[in-house]
Amino acid sequence: MKSSTTLDPVLQKLPKAKRRRSFSKRDRLTLGIFIGIPTFLHVALVWFPAAATIYLSFTYWTGIHIGDIQWAGLANYENIFFNTPIFWDALRVNVVWLIWFGAIATPLGILLAYQIDREIRGSKFYQAAYYLPVVLSLAVIGVIWNFLLRPDGLVNGLLGLEISEAVSFFGDDRYNIWVILTMASWRHIGYIMLLYLAGLKAVDASLREAASIDGATEWQSFRKVVFPTMKPVNVIVIVITIIESLRAFDLIYIIYGSSGGLPILGVLVFQNIAGEGASMKGAAYAVILFLLSIVPIIAYLRAQFKEDMK
Amino acid sequence: MLNKITGHEVDRRLLLKGAAAGGLGIAGATMLAGCAPAASGPMSFGARTVDESPTQQLEALVAAYTVKSGNEVAYNATESNAFQNNLSQYLQGTPDDCFQWMAGYRMQFFAEQGLLEDVSDVWDDIGSQYSDSYKIASTGLDGKQYFVPQSWYPWGLHFRKSMMEEIGLAATDVYNWDDMLGALAELKGQGLIGLAAADKGGWEAMGTFDILNARINGYQFHVDLLAGREKWTDSRVKEVFRHWEMLLPYQNTNVLDLEWDGAMQLLLQKQSGFFMMGSWFGGNFKEQSQEDYDDLMIIPFPEINADHGRDTVDAPLDGFCVAANGGNTGVGKDFIKFAGDMEGVQAMLDTGVPMTSANNGQDKSSYDAFQVAQQAVMDEAKYITQFLDRDTRPDFAGPIIGPAFQSWFKDPSSTNDILESLQSQWDALAPL
Repeated sequence: MKSSTTLDPVLQKLPKAKRRRSFSKRDRLTLGIFIGIPTFLHVALVWFPAAATIYLSFTYWTGIHIGDIQWAGLANYENIFFNTPIFWDALRVNVVWLIWFGAIATPLGILLAYQIDREIRGSKFYQAAYYLPVVLSLAVIGVIWNFLLRPDGLVNGLLGLEISEAVSFFGDDRYNIWVILTMASWRHIGYIMLLYLAGLKAVDASLREAASIDGATEWQSFRKVVFPTMKPVNVIVIVITIIESLRAFDLIYIIYGSSGGLPILGVLVFQNIAGEGASMKGAAYAVILFLLSIVPIIAYLRAQFKEDMK
Repeated sequence: MLNKITGHEVDRRLLLKGAAAGGLGIAGATMLAGCAPAASGPMSFGARTVDESPTQQLEALVAAYTVKSGNEVAYNATESNAFQNNLSQYLQGTPDDCFQWMAGYRMQFFAEQGLLEDVSDVWDDIGSQYSDSYKIASTGLDGKQYFVPQSWYPWGLHFRKSMMEEIGLAATDVYNWDDMLGALAELKGQGLIGLAAADKGGWEAMGTFDILNARINGYQFHVDLLAGREKWTDSRVKEVFRHWEMLLPYQNTNVLDLEWDGAMQLLLQKQSGFFMMGSWFGGNFKEQSQEDYDDLMIIPFPEINADHGRDTVDAPLDGFCVAANGGNTGVGKDFIKFAGDMEGVQAMLDTGVPMTSANNGQDKSSYDAFQVAQQAVMDEAKYITQFLDRDTRPDFAGPIIGPAFQSWFKDPSSTNDILESLQSQWDALAPL
């Protein structure tokens, strides 16, 4: 849909004109099924649980018998905002995560994509090397890095450090967040690179050629020609960066479990809604996380679409 | 009232299952009746461990049961943290018929929700093999039994005999707090870690808190604090942290980077003198070598306040439950009866994996030196507690106390803030 903005307006009108034609019964049935089933699944699997979570975040419940649900008003939220110091710690980690991804990991991925697209020597090798971590899930990445960095892991072993004097990669607050962010970026950079590379391949080479004939420098042609033509990909990259930083969970869970060694919102949701300690405080965390992710994304997309309309 | 509703729901679920099975409606009726005399058919068992030694034990139990009853048992193992986290969903879904669990509050909570099968009739059969305190620990709030014990272990100060001998430290003579600080200073003087500590998992340090609180303020205060009848901001709790702080200089510095097994390694590799932990890790020493296991010893945590002496010990009781929603509760109960009966216990003991069974039938004269010492720790105590995360609300222990202790390790000078926050978080808990 987004790409249609670049099409000729005449082309855009064509399908609309067609659509006005009345459908046969058979068509309607087919369309009904094709639209109805996914819509039903979407509502049942996404909207219903989301709405239920929002409702439950205003209740007290242990998550077992529906009859035990008690209305709690804003109590869970008050509890989180005013009584739970770990919430603010977690929020801080998530924000740092977002800034790191936005300011460092994502631009780095774009840079790599751009370099590889220029087909520098050995670009195929680089492409494979950077992309490799992407095929691994974050959980697997957690296992690999945990193996390397834990007190009795490979790195401390190579440094010849005993467990008691091992570098505290995951336990020391001064740098554990940066260790984690490095691990997460290891995959994120490759992911962004791949997305961007796909976009760059689609950029008409003649645009660049024209730019360079007009005397644009490399940076100018990227900034003024390539980057704007990549708009749809840019939107996706930004949305993915926001989502990936806020929903971070698996990596932390593999390394710290749900103990809160490095608190993030995703783990707080899990810890408070799953397991024996289940209370609807977890649902409230989930709603907070949901709002944090959806609000900036909606705002951003709205701004983008508005611009497109002009 | 709640129990009534719960009971109805379970019945309905069973009825639905019976109906779904069509012709098997009769089977459903037998299940409703509760105790089918000669239960048969396949069942599944859920182990909450993937460690080598306990797995060996449980597989031996399952094998012995299969031989005896002819019922096939599917053995499903889950890593213990994951098992704990998923238990609620597990019990509401299609759980294994019999599964490994813990006594006390943690069992009572699920029993109250109607997710555990009443095994009072099993206790009628095997109850004589257990002392009353174990029956009490297996009893739900409604007075019925929902649990069959497997084994117990005390928490205490563990050390290696050979290591203490080398240093010339009479560890068994460590009786009170001054003795302990003296021993720790001596170890530190030798360039060793006095006390191996871990808290990356968020639960390890709870054992130290439990014992310090019980030693300083007594059993009653400890129990009242965990039940919310005393306040965390009480100066007596601050006293606990003041003592705890005295131990910090003798601990390894990477407490938050080590889980229990990391701290255990410190003891195993003779880098640390003492290790405060539950004796269950003896199995891990034995996996290492018989020599390491024979070297292991335990003493009670020292006396701090003469009023309370060494009268309390954390001694969690592990065992089995039958899931109410299991596919074959009849066989599940038959299995749990076997597991609690001396015959099943013997099958586990025969593996040679060290175990202190809750069953009176275990011949205590066959105890090895380490087990004798564990028994001595138990015998000295008048009061037995389960463990912090088994003695208080689950939505308080894991999500709130765990991170609070971790942040205390990061900044021990923030005790007052942390305790105030703990109290306000307790006050904000959902009403039960």
